Amino acid sequence: MKQYTTNETVDAVVIGTGAGGAPLLARLAAAGLNVVALEAGKYWDPKKDFPTDEKAQDKLFWNDERLSAGEDPLPFGSNNSGTGVGGSTLHYTAYTPRVHPDDLKIRTEFGVGEDWPIAFEEIAQYYDEVEHFIGVSGPANYPWGPDRKRSYPLGPLPVNGAGQLMERGCNEIGIKTSPAANAALSAGYYQEGVGHRPACANRGFCQAGCNIGAKASMDVTYIPLAIGKGAEIRPECFVTQLIRDSSGKISEVVYIRNGQEERQRCRYVFLCAGTIETARLLLLNGLANSSGQVGRNVMAHPGLQIWGEFDEDIRPYKGIPGALISEDMHRAADADFVGGYLLQSIGVMPVTYMQQMARGRGLWGQDLKRAASAYNHVAGINILGDCLPYEHNYMELSEEKDARGLPKPRVYFSNGESEERMTAHANKVMREIWEAAGAKNIWAFPRNAHVIGTCRMGNDGDNAVVNADGQSFDIPNLYISDNSTFPSALSVNPALTIMALALRTADRFLSNRKRLD
Amino acid sequence: MPVPARNVSIMNTYYHYPEGTVRALLDTDQVTDATRQALTERLNKQPQTSRFFSETEYTLLKTICERLIPQPDRVTPIDIAGGIDERLAGGKSDGWRYDTMPADGDAYRAGLRGVDESAQVLFGHPFQQLTSEQQEDVLRQVQTADAPGATWDQLPAERFFEELLAEAVGGYYSHPLAQEEIGYVGMADVPTWQHVQLNQLEAREPKPVGQ
Repeated sequence: MKQYTTNETVDAVVIGTGAGGAPLLARLAAAGLNVVALEAGKYWDPKKDFPTDEKAQDKLFWNDERLSAGEDPLPFGSNNSGTGVGGSTLHYTAYTPRVHPDDLKIRTEFGVGEDWPIAFEEIAQYYDEVEHFIGVSGPANYPWGPDRKRSYPLGPLPVNGAGQLMERGCNEIGIKTSPAANAALSAGYYQEGVGHRPACANRGFCQAGCNIGAKASMDVTYIPLAIGKGAEIRPECFVTQLIRDSSGKISEVVYIRNGQEERQRCRYVFLCAGTIETARLLLLNGLANSSGQVGRNVMAHPGLQIWGEFDEDIRPYKGIPGALISEDMHRAADADFVGGYLLQSIGVMPVTYMQQMARGRGLWGQDLKRAASAYNHVAGINILGDCLPYEHNYMELSEEKDARGLPKPRVYFSNGESEERMTAHANKVMREIWEAAGAKNIWAFPRNAHVIGTCRMGNDGDNAVVNADGQSFDIPNLYISDNSTFPSALSVNPALTIMALALRTADRFLSNRKRLD
Repeated sequence: MPVPARNVSIMNTYYHYPEGTVRALLDTDQVTDATRQALTERLNKQPQTSRFFSETEYTLLKTICERLIPQPDRVTPIDIAGGIDERLAGGKSDGWRYDTMPADGDAYRAGLRGVDESAQVLFGHPFQQLTSEQQEDVLRQVQTADAPGATWDQLPAERFFEELLAEAVGGYYSHPLAQEEIGYVGMADVPTWQHVQLNQLEAREPKPVGQ
């Protein structure tokens, strides 16, 4: 790996190596720029470092404490955060549906929320590229959304027990299903600049780290590509300050490595630290916030889960967790809420499931032991749906300091009427599916997943933090590339769209820069 | 956000799995070295004296954990309280906490005090001196935030209970012996899983021995 000294002025510093940072890093390096990525977490060797053990894999989560406030406090840690080279893609489920064109036009369609300043077609060309580069497995004919230019590079992964049950239940009540698109390989895959990656072992452990590189986390896709093109990855570097020169541009990034402060001089900064840490760094430094929108508009997908016990032997730890999808509820005929949601079958690892039963059902004593004994007979479905931005949902810096001496973020979240109605609609639909599939002891686990917003993009610097290219309205050499810039939450899992936007931001930056040169 | 339930078909099947499955697999090449190391360490871990809790607090926590996750058939119970003590002594967080709750360590100390206080008000004795049924009664009232005592004016009882239960459950079901109990062998993944559909088992997956 190429290494730069802190004395030289590199072209760009990229902060964070997840879905927002890694693709962009590879693109900038490929264009010949001198780039350094600063990553707060470690650079793991999954083969040696990732046991198949949920507790040991806690290390993949961002475990610095965040304070969860509001009526529906958001859990962090194992949800909604990540650390390590690859960011939260190290533990994402690899579910990679595309957005629908109307997801980007929520305000036009419903008169609330925000439209995106980018057209669907602009994102779609990058979807094609990302899907083929990281190796997305999916059906030959996907039943929903606009026609695709290119089909998925690999056929779908095997549908596991939970997927079969969802298919059975949906067939009964007339809901269309399809094997889902997942960024895990259904066959061995070779990519120039990355090498060979093996097919998925059906290990079901995506949410706690793939140990063979079959799942397309950034550390086995865009990061090796970036390194091959001359980028430096500097792990275990926690950024604390962005220093501006007399012209107001950022000239130096200050970070802590091994307890020591270091500085990297640079021409451009790309902030890709995720919804919470990106906004936190800007608030800590009092930067890029003339709009007053930094930290505002926190959104989180309604993600209600419905679980049930079946007579069939399921073993929910096997197979890709999100094997089956339905997008029939993208615009449900009887919807009384804004936007839509997707339905997904879900497998689950045991500790995660038991802890959800503890929190969601409050089971303990003999009741818990009985319900736990049925683990091998358990399957779930969940939704993922759009969420509106609200005045009452935001993050701030609290007075309480963390181990680094920095203020802990406090995140306010309460579902609004639309999200509550969507959840009620989904509760009814999913219970019908599960009853039709033969489930007993059905129970619901309400949750919100994927924290989005805090640095939204827009056309107007008065109410947005960055423009459609991800460039700060206030600081011209500062860009943001992660889910913090989403003006609306979308009705699908965000990772694929974050990657696509990262490439778009990189391309827009490169062509603007060329023009200026 | 409350979600309404409908009529639910009930099943009370209790599945029992053979003992020794996970331990036997750990001796084979069906688990990776990293997995073997993590699980063997946990399996062989001896109970420690407390580093965070006082002796009185620790004993009380152990008794509460016995009610939450009973282990009547185990000569040496899985040490749930020890895991909690170790985390708090190390100042470790799981990444978040309810804003209405104090810092984890303070919440545990106050909550334990509150449980004893409720026991006194309800039954006239400290928690340790109550019968198992009385102890369960106290805990149920803590869980539903109905428990009496001044502590609960400061600390949301239902959140304290939720956090304690989630951590206890996490500690318990991370243990190889608890994983044997529920028939989980997902750690034996080296041969990959080729039979992932309904009612399809690999040879290494145990069948229930009784229901």
